[in-house]
Amino acid sequence: MSGLGLTVSTAARERPKRRRRVDAFPYLLLAPAALMMIIVNLVPIVQGFRMSLLKLNQYTLSQFMDAPFIGLRNYRGVLFDPANPVHSGMLGALRNTALYSLLVTVCAVAIGLGVALLLNREFPGKALARTLLMLPWVVPTYVVGTLWGFMWQRDEGIINHVLVDVLHLMDHKPFWLIGGNTFFAIVIPTVWRAWPVLMLIFLAALQAVPEELYEAARLDGANAWQRFRNITLPSLMPVIVIQVMFQIIDNIYSYNIVAMMFGKGAGYPGEWGDLLMPLLTRQSFSYWRFGEGAAVSFVMMAVMLVFVAVWMRTFRRSMTSEA
Amino acid sequence: MARRCAAAVALGLAAASAGAVELTMWVMPVTTNAQHDVPDLLAPWLAQHPDVHVRVTVLDWESGWNKITAAAASRRGPDLLELGTTWMPAIAAMGGLEALTPRQLAEVDNGSPYYPELWKTTQVFGRSGVYGLPWYADVRAAFYRTDVFRQAGVDPVQAFASWDAFHAALKKINGQVVAGKHVAALAYAGKNDWNVVHNLAPWIWNAGGDMLSADARHSALSTPQALRAIDFYSSLAVEGLVPSNALEKDSDILEGAWVGGDYGVIFSGPWLMRRIFESPPGSVVRSNFDVAPYPAGPHGHATFFGGSNLAIFKGSRHKAEAWELVKYLGGKAPQVQLALVSSMMPARIDAANDPAWTSRHPAYAKLTAIAADGRAYPPIPAWGPLETVYTKHLGQLAELTSGIADQYSVPAMKALIADTVIEADKVLEEAN
Repeated sequence: MSGLGLTVSTAARERPKRRRRVDAFPYLLLAPAALMMIIVNLVPIVQGFRMSLLKLNQYTLSQFMDAPFIGLRNYRGVLFDPANPVHSGMLGALRNTALYSLLVTVCAVAIGLGVALLLNREFPGKALARTLLMLPWVVPTYVVGTLWGFMWQRDEGIINHVLVDVLHLMDHKPFWLIGGNTFFAIVIPTVWRAWPVLMLIFLAALQAVPEELYEAARLDGANAWQRFRNITLPSLMPVIVIQVMFQIIDNIYSYNIVAMMFGKGAGYPGEWGDLLMPLLTRQSFSYWRFGEGAAVSFVMMAVMLVFVAVWMRTFRRSMTSEA
Repeated sequence: MARRCAAAVALGLAAASAGAVELTMWVMPVTTNAQHDVPDLLAPWLAQHPDVHVRVTVLDWESGWNKITAAAASRRGPDLLELGTTWMPAIAAMGGLEALTPRQLAEVDNGSPYYPELWKTTQVFGRSGVYGLPWYADVRAAFYRTDVFRQAGVDPVQAFASWDAFHAALKKINGQVVAGKHVAALAYAGKNDWNVVHNLAPWIWNAGGDMLSADARHSALSTPQALRAIDFYSSLAVEGLVPSNALEKDSDILEGAWVGGDYGVIFSGPWLMRRIFESPPGSVVRSNFDVAPYPAGPHGHATFFGGSNLAIFKGSRHKAEAWELVKYLGGKAPQVQLALVSSMMPARIDAANDPAWTSRHPAYAKLTAIAADGRAYPPIPAWGPLETVYTKHLGQLAELTSGIADQYSVPAMKALIADTVIEADKVLEEAN
């Protein structure tokens, strides 16, 4: 150990004497992508941040980036001023978004993983089953929102027909698009669309787990649950951790399904149906309060950055093969 | 030789481009095939102006607003465009539209051929200047089933004579069975719809209330008259005269269901006529419907008057040609022609009374008569944000009247309206 320390120390002393040769070729290859990232991401982000510091509304829109500079007043207004129209309803939307993201993520990951485990074995028609199960994912979210909006209708919708008339699970047809049930009316279609792609990803990951591990476990007398807990789950953990993070980000930014289900953006989903992005869109763009809308976007982005940093740090070990 | 030919071609092209004018025109989907129908509408004018070419772009109502505001902000847009009557003041206040000159105003008799309420929408409240011409009108009326009224023994003339009579009539027709189908009395959308405010406004006006104070600085929804109207309107759903399942639907679905025979009465606009006549020839509703004005309230039977105007974009480089086209489309013959292909009412009084429109079906003549009581919102630039506030909060009435969130009560309704007014006043405060 001391020998190694000595070697490193000697090398460090010698380093200044040599001129470092920088190979420009990798940087040259990276340059177009970096430039595109700056143009596509960084410039709009900087411009958006600048907008969040301006009094940019219907009356100053023609001045655009020359609109009056008001510092952090937009942030104070949307976060703390109860009379601010953009702030109105935000706590409810925040609560709904947190519950929605959690529930959709848990359900979609659980169903995706469960079906992937079922498909990770040979049976006739496996390829066909896998293709058919992917169908919900290929339906665009706008279409999902519109279709489920029809399906949830109390009297004409197929869901109540199945629940009440066919399965007799309820004695009356409930409302899904009015009242507290609106929350489930947005969660269920989102899960329905999200789990197939997770299933596909988990299935790919499952097929990379060496079969020898299971054979050895069987020889050691491990039952199915023990094999799942000690082999499958740890092997899938890097994929699960990343997918859960992606799901949470996707669901927090969810917009299309809610917007299309409730009046194609014209309506208000109600106390239990409103999420942050539909609220932000409605109360920023429809109210023409672009500065405040940009401020909310930056708050959301900051929260998401913190979340991703904490998540990555917490699960850093799980995301590597050392786990 | 080749060089000489190329030079000749270049000169020819330059000469052609120097003489020709290309106008760009943005319109909304005023007909089901506007990309085809609007050029047809322009054809006679283009025949008289062979040096002008018009490029028509059909926007849609969902994305049109963003596109137009972006154009107004950047000063880069079409030469002329269609604007909804409630959009026009906002775009004009942004400086996006060219005001008409006194000479141009004189050419259209200072707006006298048009319905005065629609002419008002070409201006900005409290300011001078006219920014365009009314193009077509959206006028609302009660469409009702004559067979259902007859079977229930209800006289339609009496039914729409007062709120009480209307209420009594709805109670009689509710649940009538016609052609084996249970008919619900009335249909209106609850919350998932862009018509929430337009549906309620006539009731408020007819109660003597208004959407805004006279100076347009405050919301007027909390006045006793407005509250009375909102209470009456809501009570129709609470009593089951509007079935609760209607409250989760949008206008489009409800209109389809009315044409299909599910409801006795619906408040809608002239486009419903097209839908009625597109239904199968033997359908019950097609041969058993009529049109009536809004039930008369304590202060009359006004109806919602909206539609679209035509305006010249501030950044246009061909304002003279654009004005000639706007003026042409604001004329009687093109307005009648548009009404016949679109089923939207002409915005000119003489066109709306033209036999080509009124003789198509007795209902068209009645719509023209009802338009005399048409009323538009005050043309304030902040109407867009204000309507969003109203739509959001008034849509929540459905949560109360459907009976699943809270039971409807006047105090609960008043609390909801109080919240609406606070938010609306905040929007208006910043506009002033």
